[in-house]
Amino acid sequence: MNILIVDDDRINSTILSRLLARDGHQVLTASNGVDGVACFKKEQPDLVLMDVRMPKMNGYKAARRIKDMSVDRFVPIIFLTAVTDEEGLSACIEAGGDDFLTKPFNRTILQAKINAMRRIQELDTALRRKTFELERHQENLHQEMEVGNHLFTNIVRAGNLQDAPCLRYSTSPMSVFNGDLLIASYNPAGGLHIMLGDFTGHGLSAAVGALPLSELFYGMTAQGFSIGDLAEEINAKLYTVMPTWITCAACLIEVDYRQKVLTIWNGGLPDVLIADSSGKIVHRVASTHFAFGTIGSDPHLRKVEILEMQDDFRVFLYSDGLIEANNSEGAMFGQKRLENHFDGSIKPADLLDRIREANDQYRGETKQSDDTSILEIDCAKAGEEPPGGRQQTTRKDIPASDWQVSFSFSATTLRTVDPLPTIINAVMSLQAPTGHRERIYTILAELFSNALDHGLLGLDTKTKKTPEGFVEYYSQREKRLAALEHGEIKLHLCHKPLGSEQNSSGPMVRGGEIAIRLEDSGPGFNPNDVHSSLESNLGHGGRGIALVQSLCTRLDYHGCGNVAEAIYNWTHQ
Amino acid sequence: MSGEISVSHNENETTISIKGRFNFEMHSQFRTAYQQTGDGGTDKSRKYVIDLGGTEYIDSSALGMLLLLREEAGANEANIEVTNARPEIRKILETANFQRLFKII
Repeated sequence: MNILIVDDDRINSTILSRLLARDGHQVLTASNGVDGVACFKKEQPDLVLMDVRMPKMNGYKAARRIKDMSVDRFVPIIFLTAVTDEEGLSACIEAGGDDFLTKPFNRTILQAKINAMRRIQELDTALRRKTFELERHQENLHQEMEVGNHLFTNIVRAGNLQDAPCLRYSTSPMSVFNGDLLIASYNPAGGLHIMLGDFTGHGLSAAVGALPLSELFYGMTAQGFSIGDLAEEINAKLYTVMPTWITCAACLIEVDYRQKVLTIWNGGLPDVLIADSSGKIVHRVASTHFAFGTIGSDPHLRKVEILEMQDDFRVFLYSDGLIEANNSEGAMFGQKRLENHFDGSIKPADLLDRIREANDQYRGETKQSDDTSILEIDCAKAGEEPPGGRQQTTRKDIPASDWQVSFSFSATTLRTVDPLPTIINAVMSLQAPTGHRERIYTILAELFSNALDHGLLGLDTKTKKTPEGFVEYYSQREKRLAALEHGEIKLHLCHKPLGSEQNSSGPMVRGGEIAIRLEDSGPGFNPNDVHSSLESNLGHGGRGIALVQSLCTRLDYHGCGNVAEAIYNWTHQ
Repeated sequence: MSGEISVSHNENETTISIKGRFNFEMHSQFRTAYQQTGDGGTDKSRKYVIDLGGTEYIDSSALGMLLLLREEAGANEANIEVTNARPEIRKILETANFQRLFKII
C-alpha cells in the first residue's frame, strides 16, 4: 500500500517508516498538517497515519480536510496518539479517523490494523463498483423501457382505436407501459376489426410481441382477411418468434354493421359479455382457444363465434387484470362482482363507467398487480364514420387503363382457402381508385359469397330470418363447405377507362368502368328473390344483393340465375 | 410477496407443490424444481404432478412456466398432471384451455 505518515516527531516517523517499508509498503512522510494535506493531494496515498498535535495544522483538522477531498473513495485515517483517555480517542473518530494507534507502536498491532483497513477498503471499492454497475443497469433498463414504450405507443396509435365512434375504453398500466394491447382497424368493406391482447408479463416482452402481432393485424385487416385468418397467422407467428413461456391471451372481434354480424374469436381472455338495452347479459363468448403462441397448430384454431348484431348491443371486452384486481385484504374483485352490474338496474350507457369506478374503488390504495383494460363496443354507433373518415391505405392511384383478369376456383380450392382476399388484392393493386376501394370490395365480396353460399352450398337466406336460424345458417355453411366436392366459381373482370377529355397534354382520363361477371356451377337463383328492394330486405339476412344493387350502375342475372353481371363506374374524387 | 415451492421425487414421479402466489417471481425456483430430476435435465419419461392445493393465485407467467415444463418434458408426449386447483384457479386454467394440454384433476 501507499501510506502517508503525518507526524512532527522525526523519531516516531522514522520508526514507522522502517516498519512499514519492511512489510513492503511505500511510505511518504510529512511533518505537519499543512504539508500532510498538500502531500495527500499530490500523491493520493491509500492510507494515512496521522499524529494529533502538530504545528501549523493539527491532526483533527488535517483529517477533516483529507476526508473532504476523498469522497469518491475510502481513505482510512489511523490516528497516532499518546493519549488513552476516552475523550481524546473519541475526538479522533469524530474528526473522521477510522481507528487509532497508541504510542509506543507495536508492530503486530500496526500490521493488524493496516490489514483490517485494507479489507474495509476492498469492501468499499467492491461496493462502489457494484453501485456503479447497478446504476448503469438501471439507466440501460430505463432507456430500453423508453424504446419499448415508444414502439408500443406508436403501434397502438397506428390504428383507428381513437377514431372509431363505437369504441370506448380504458387502460391502466401497472409498469412503465401497458402489457395489454388494444388495437382496432377498418377492413376494406368498412367493417371494424378490434383486438384486445394480454401478454404474459409486462413491459418489454409485451412490446416485443406486439410488433409482429400488430403488423399482421393491420396488414391482414387492410387486405380483407377474416378474423379466423388473422387468428391463424398471428398464432403461427407468435409461436415461432416468442419464447415458449410468453403467450398472448387475446380476443378478436369483427363488427360488420352492413351484414349486422358480430364475429368473435376468444383465446384465453375472460368471457366476452354482450348486454342489450335491458342492461342484462344476453350473450357470453367464453374462451374456446389457446392464447396466441401456446401451441404451433390447432385444427380448430379458425373457429369463430358468429352472432347476429342488434343495434342495442353493447359488447364488453376486458383483461383478467380487471377481475383479478386485489383489495387491501388480498381478495379479488372477481367475475361475480363484475357481472352484478348487469342486473338491469344500470343504464346500459353507464355500464362502462360504473364498472370502472367499482373496480377502482374496490382496489382502493392497493398497488396494481396487473394491467387492466376494459373496452366497450356500442353497436348502435358501429356504422358511424370516424371523424377523419376511414383511413385509406396510402397506395398510389394508378391511371385508368384497359385490363382484364379471370379467376377460376374448383371445389378443392374453395374448401381449403378463402380466395376472396387474394382476388381483392389483385384487383386493388391493379386499379384501386381512392374513395371507391370499399365499394368495389363490397360488391366483389357480396357477389362471391352469394355464388358460394347459395350457388354451390345451397344455403337459403330465409334461414337467417330468426336468431336461431342465423346461428344455424353459419353452422350449416361450415359443414357444407367442408364437404364440398363438386362445383366451380368463375370470375371475370374487365376494366376500361371512361370519359376522356382532350386537353393540351393529350386525353385526360376521368374515371373507369369495371364490368364484373361471376358464374357458379350451381342451380341458380330465383330472380324474384334477387330483385327484392333494399328496404324490404332489412330483416335478419339477405341484404347482400340489394346492397350490391344500390352500389352498381347495373346488376343483372343471366342463365338460370347462376351468372351475375355487374357494372361499376368510378370517377376521380 | 411470492409463493413457496416444495419438490418430492420417487422413482418415476416428481411432485411439485406450490403454496401461496404462483407468479413470475417463482420462475427460477420452478425451473430448478423440475430440472432436479434425472441427470440435471428434464427427464422425459417421468411423470410430473403439479400440486396447486396450496396455491392462492396464479398469473399468466405461471401459465407460461407450465408450458415451458410441458415442452421440456416432451411436449405432446409429456405426462403432466395438475392437481387440487381450487375453483378460481381452475377457471383460469380452463380459460387458457389448459385442459387440452394437461391432465387437470
